[in-house]
Amino acid sequence: MFNLPTTNIGGPELFVLEFGDIVTYFSPYTAALFVFALIFTVLAIVSRPERQVDFAFGGDAYYTKVVDPDLLRFQRFMAIACGLATLGAMVTGDVFNFTLFASMVGITNIGIVAAYRNRHVLNAAFQYGIVAMLASIPLFGGAAIVLASTGTLSMWELFGGAMAVPLIAKAFLVLGVMGEGMAPFYIAKAEITRAQGAPFILMVHVSSLLLFLRVTEIVISM
Amino acid sequence: MTPNRSIITRISVIISRVENLTALYALLAIVVVVLGLVSLPFIAYQNDQLYEKTLDPESTLDPYDRGGVPFGTTPVKAQYPENSPYAGYVTAYLTPFSQWLADTTHHMGTTIVAHPGGIIDEILYNTRGLDTVVETSILFVAFGIASYLFRRDS
Repeated sequence: MFNLPTTNIGGPELFVLEFGDIVTYFSPYTAALFVFALIFTVLAIVSRPERQVDFAFGGDAYYTKVVDPDLLRFQRFMAIACGLATLGAMVTGDVFNFTLFASMVGITNIGIVAAYRNRHVLNAAFQYGIVAMLASIPLFGGAAIVLASTGTLSMWELFGGAMAVPLIAKAFLVLGVMGEGMAPFYIAKAEITRAQGAPFILMVHVSSLLLFLRVTEIVISM
Repeated sequence: MTPNRSIITRISVIISRVENLTALYALLAIVVVVLGLVSLPFIAYQNDQLYEKTLDPESTLDPYDRGGVPFGTTPVKAQYPENSPYAGYVTAYLTPFSQWLADTTHHMGTTIVAHPGGIIDEILYNTRGLDTVVETSILFVAFGIASYLFRRDS
């Protein structure tokens, strides 16, 4: 419809959906990311939490860990919300819209991590929360500089090469997504992947990975 | 402290502590912000703005006045006007109460835009409607987290 200019990166446009000025598009690249995110969102919806057993070393004793239904329900909700935000960030055709979806991914990641009661996990969630909140400044600052220096936010215009996007705006965008997508570092450290109710943690990793892939495409194309 | 550790070991020891990651990110943010401040004078402001705005302090709707006639065609600049064929139709519409507020005082512009039936900012709600949806979703998720954490122990 609008002829996406940079066919050498994202490929030709496959499908276009207009929300006013925000024109969502699927290129082979973003469609692949979208399908990937969709698969993991469906997995988060249908998967059941692990019911873990701890064996005491050197004896017959073992503990079965209880999965709290409230925690399970909340984390599943957060994982699905995170998946939906990732889906949006993958296909959006607008820089500011992308930053909004990225910050929503950050907030839902905090929600998934902060739901545990473990002290180490909560400490990691607090630290990640600080980073995610701090990251919203460069994230939205980057979008603001893009708008101020080019006069538009639509990726369809920005990808053309006719607009000169300042390097600092791209640096801000990448820095912001780095902060929002930093959650896997904290998760690996706090060993949440081994906590009860684990499968929803997967969504944190998937969303961060996909956000990085998408922001790379945006920054290279602009 | 073993004296002859490789540089990679030292780096990985530092970033393996969760508390250090925040400081590391803050350092990175400071570096980029300083670069931004240095390069800011070289960024030219594009005068041909898509979502331009003129301020008229005399208007009773002051910071939000976009002009126009109710249900007439107010020109609203959009990136893709063909996607928003009805942009500009209800920009200037006020409910009777809002109109009364606007006629009475000069200091209620924000109140008028913030209460139901006030100014409809079509750039926000018509041409950039998806942004509004995502913003409210972020708020909803944030309130969801807060209420879950607050009520968890009861």
